Amino acid sequence: MAVYKRGYRRYSGPLTGPWARFLVLPRYAWRRLYRERLVLLLTMLALVWPVMCAGFVYLTNHAELLQGLDQDFLQFIQVDGRFFSIFMYVQAGFAVFLAALAGPGLIAPDLANNALPLYFSRPLTRWTYGLARLTVLVGMLSVVTWIPGLILFAFQVGLAGGSWFAANWTLGAGMVVGFLVWVLILSLVAMASSAYVKWRAVAAAVSLAFFFILSGIGEMIDAVLRVGWGHIIDPAWAVNQVWCALLGVALPEGPGAGASAVALAAMVLLLVVVIERKLRPVEVVR
Amino acid sequence: MTPPAVIFEEVSKFYGEVLGVNRVTLNIPPGITSLVGPNGSGKTTLMNLMTGLIHPDHGRILMRGISPRDPEALMRITGYATQYDTAPRWATGFTFITTGLLLFGYSRTEAEERAWKALERLSLTDAANRKVAAYSKGMRQRVRLAQAIAHDPELLVLDEPLNGLDPLVRAETIALFRAWAGEGKHVIISSHVLQEVDLISDQVVLISNGMIVAEGSIRTVREEIEEHPSQYIVRCGGASEVASRLFNGDHITEIRLNDDGMGLMVMTRDREQFARALRDIALDGHRIDAVVPADENVDALYEYLIGGE
Repeated sequence: MAVYKRGYRRYSGPLTGPWARFLVLPRYAWRRLYRERLVLLLTMLALVWPVMCAGFVYLTNHAELLQGLDQDFLQFIQVDGRFFSIFMYVQAGFAVFLAALAGPGLIAPDLANNALPLYFSRPLTRWTYGLARLTVLVGMLSVVTWIPGLILFAFQVGLAGGSWFAANWTLGAGMVVGFLVWVLILSLVAMASSAYVKWRAVAAAVSLAFFFILSGIGEMIDAVLRVGWGHIIDPAWAVNQVWCALLGVALPEGPGAGASAVALAAMVLLLVVVIERKLRPVEVVR
Repeated sequence: MTPPAVIFEEVSKFYGEVLGVNRVTLNIPPGITSLVGPNGSGKTTLMNLMTGLIHPDHGRILMRGISPRDPEALMRITGYATQYDTAPRWATGFTFITTGLLLFGYSRTEAEERAWKALERLSLTDAANRKVAAYSKGMRQRVRLAQAIAHDPELLVLDEPLNGLDPLVRAETIALFRAWAGEGKHVIISSHVLQEVDLISDQVVLISNGMIVAEGSIRTVREEIEEHPSQYIVRCGGASEVASRLFNGDHITEIRLNDDGMGLMVMTRDREQFARALRDIALDGHRIDAVVPADENVDALYEYLIGGE
């Protein structure tokens, strides 16, 4: 039998918690992404509209500043579900471009560099890796969606008082939930395109095209089959149905919020499966 | 106490209809073990199975008592270096290794200390703050090794670890492997450079077409190959007379005299009979200066067991 010096001692010192370990990947990714001028510029641009909306909220809550304006117009400029839905449309648009810009750099380089075996030879599972990458996008998109939305809502509550909050708290909750659904869809689409397309520019184009193509296909289904449910495969349209229901705004024609929510859930599931299939430590080319 | 081993029991892995490895049974003790085999023979598949990056379709694997299906436990004791350039372009050598250590759960201070130590061991401290993308091939190889050893694992799985290293670093790295093996750790490497394997390995695993052809120390494996006569170089005085004496034994299959008349190349089917015959010749007053086995190396094993396929 061989003789060993037995000088080795396994590390028994303290370790950071699972959350600290989980956040290592997002932290590095955020630092890198926010160093990119375009990402930073788009994020800042996306915050202009919330500031304008805050100005609007301030005005609507200061009747003295609006004296002399037409009564119909005064009734039109209310902070209600319609106001928040308009706010959300604009922010959602920024989020699409931000996801297309930031998403492709998340997984594609790891696949191109064969780096997944390296990640998975750490105490890190495939799911943790996927969730960490998802957190990067969800975090970045949150900065331009539900976080400014919530601040805006809080601002309105601060100006209008507790009675307004009691009557309209569902608007705040609906906005956060609605944004989270959209952010999840965008993040998964960006991750899927990043997992399948190794060139960043092409991956960005694919994640943008995803929405336009599905919208086009939805239109085609409606036109060719003379039906009204074709739009349900268009994620933007389906999300809009859900938002309208959450904010208490009149729904456009077509399948209702429930059917749209089911379609979105199926889309999320499909995207997760698509990503899961690609995030293998070893790529087997048959 | 039995030292912890790397155990494969009837392990098979298929990629669809393509064979990865088939019915592999191994028991690898601590020390340096080299996986040797032609391209596509299944070496990387074996390594991926060891590190839990893929799982077997059949059979059981235990890495020093830990199943590869428990990555949380396995990866704490395992260091893995792939044969690919895996470092992200934006990272410096130092950040690359530190990030990996943070994923293990070390505090930032601990991670940075360990990263420096690993870089120092691979002579990379001068280049630590340069981007990995700007490294030479040899430096990238070293940084890959550094990330594999940074958490001081007791099981190292290294795919072609000596590729691209200059002779000095290569010698230092081999010394490092030796030191780890001496501590009772497992160092499992794959290599195409057979002379190197010969030099550093305590054990070899020869693999071909997804099947294990031989396993054990080079000497043991050689002894078990009976169909190929063993070759010995004998340095002696009066070579032709020694040759004629040796030919009296029926175990000798061939003898070649050296041009200088001071030595022979002997091929024998029975090592023990050959040793006895040589002892008798020496006792009769013939000068025998040296007897060296000529085919007790991985090159020869490869040729005998795989080369002919």
